[in-house]
Amino acid sequence: MVLDGVFAADAISLPADGITTVSVPLAELSNKISRVRDDLGYSRFVDLTAVDRLRRQDRFELVYLFYSLDRHEWLRVKSWTDGEAPSITPSVPAANWYERELFDLFGIQFHGHPGLARIMLPDTWQGHPLRRTEPLGSEPVDFTVTRKVYGHD
Amino acid sequence: MATTETDRRELLTVNMGPQHPSTHGVLRLELTLDGEVVVHCRPVIGYLHTGIEKTFEAKTYVQGVVLTDRMDYLNPLGNNLAYALSIEKLMDCPIPPRAVVLRVILAELTRLASHLMFVGSMAIDLGATSPFLYCWREREKIMDFFEGISGQRMMTSFIRPGGVAQNVEPAMLDRISEFIEVMPGYIDAYEELLTGNPIFRERTEGIGLLPTDDALALGVTGPALRGSGVALDIRKSNPYCGYETYQFEVPTGRVGDCFDRYLVRVAEMRESVKICRQALDRMPDGPVHTEDRKVMPPPKEELAKSMEAVIHHFKLWTEGIRPPVGEAYVGVESPRGELGFYVVSDGSGRPIRVHERAPSFANLQALPKIIEGGLVADVVACIASMDPIMGEVDR
Repeated sequence: MVLDGVFAADAISLPADGITTVSVPLAELSNKISRVRDDLGYSRFVDLTAVDRLRRQDRFELVYLFYSLDRHEWLRVKSWTDGEAPSITPSVPAANWYERELFDLFGIQFHGHPGLARIMLPDTWQGHPLRRTEPLGSEPVDFTVTRKVYGHD
Repeated sequence: MATTETDRRELLTVNMGPQHPSTHGVLRLELTLDGEVVVHCRPVIGYLHTGIEKTFEAKTYVQGVVLTDRMDYLNPLGNNLAYALSIEKLMDCPIPPRAVVLRVILAELTRLASHLMFVGSMAIDLGATSPFLYCWREREKIMDFFEGISGQRMMTSFIRPGGVAQNVEPAMLDRISEFIEVMPGYIDAYEELLTGNPIFRERTEGIGLLPTDDALALGVTGPALRGSGVALDIRKSNPYCGYETYQFEVPTGRVGDCFDRYLVRVAEMRESVKICRQALDRMPDGPVHTEDRKVMPPPKEELAKSMEAVIHHFKLWTEGIRPPVGEAYVGVESPRGELGFYVVSDGSGRPIRVHERAPSFANLQALPKIIEGGLVADVVACIASMDPIMGEVDR
């Protein structure tokens, strides 16, 4: 197994989709990601997203996905945070917008990001809609036809 | 508009979009110009953000299929397929062979329709109106097939977890077969209009260069990456739906300019035709739904005879599919690149997270790279050659 030298055996798992998944403490994240890309060959950044686990102490599960162009397989790297994480954008330019998206929709601060600003929502927006504490669809949209309904007028 | 004076240069900042016809939706580019040259480009997105990923959390798994159509609206069946594959990975349910072959045909027809749209809109962005009309004519035929198969031209929601929505009649397959026979001739016609056209070549050759290293570093996938010379196609490298059993090539470009990205897509249309041909020839008979009662309801005649069938029917229509606790991502090759749905289940009837790895989102990050240093007149060619769909960028 190619991962053995870098990750402890109990940090490696294999979910239903067959993509090898490694769990990494937040403090070692940047270091491990550079080893995954440089030493193990999973050089292509594919995806970064988060899952709000709500009941966990560090509620946000960061899910990074990398791809090896030689072996043609994906590798998932997971870490947990309560709202702050190191940015990998300085070494992985492709992660730029993905980190901005998580900042915008989950409210996760990425330290070291060159331009952490909202990307989907207006800069004046309050809250982070993909947090599971945010209600679904409670914001009335301000159209002329809905003004009477919501009493804006 | 704002002007700033630095050194002896007078820089001008202009907004291109969000309501500009060439931005293919609502993309805004903040361009800093030094005369005719773009010195800085900042894409601003989010104008089409509708919170689709949040909406998934309130829908059952099957209702979610409808949302996937609306992300990349030029590749609705490809999005259905990627979503269905992720859920099937979670449920570990086998798909009957006829459904698999139908999925391949539908996915390739969608790729054809999407690339037709690309060729037409790139031509019209660069001032050639007639190819757009010809491409639209053929695309309309594919839309007719989709309407005949599913009742909908664009938002088909036809590929669902467990198979496809219903069987496709042999008469429809014959019509598709006839279309596939004549399609290569049409592609020749577009090439005659564009590939050898000196004005088109002048405006695309050497424009918007994307070196291989930059393409990989910025997460670019699909025809944009293959145009830069990397033969990465998920259908070849990580086959799904039995793509390993089809004969097709992965076309690549040489220098990575707008013209190469155009050529790659035209060549891909020919490959899609080949795949469709092979799929139609091998079309097996049989059911188009999985037998797994946890995914698909039992057939009507069983309901009168079996109590278990009634229970399954009731559970499916009240709670929906309930995948086991876990997560799944299946990468597929969309017309724009690597597309995948990361689905996280907590064992209930609704997902706790559905995230789309949208190819256009990553590809757009490379836009400043190919625009900066070029002329403002070439910005349109650069955007068109990346073929972004704002529906999946903003979600």
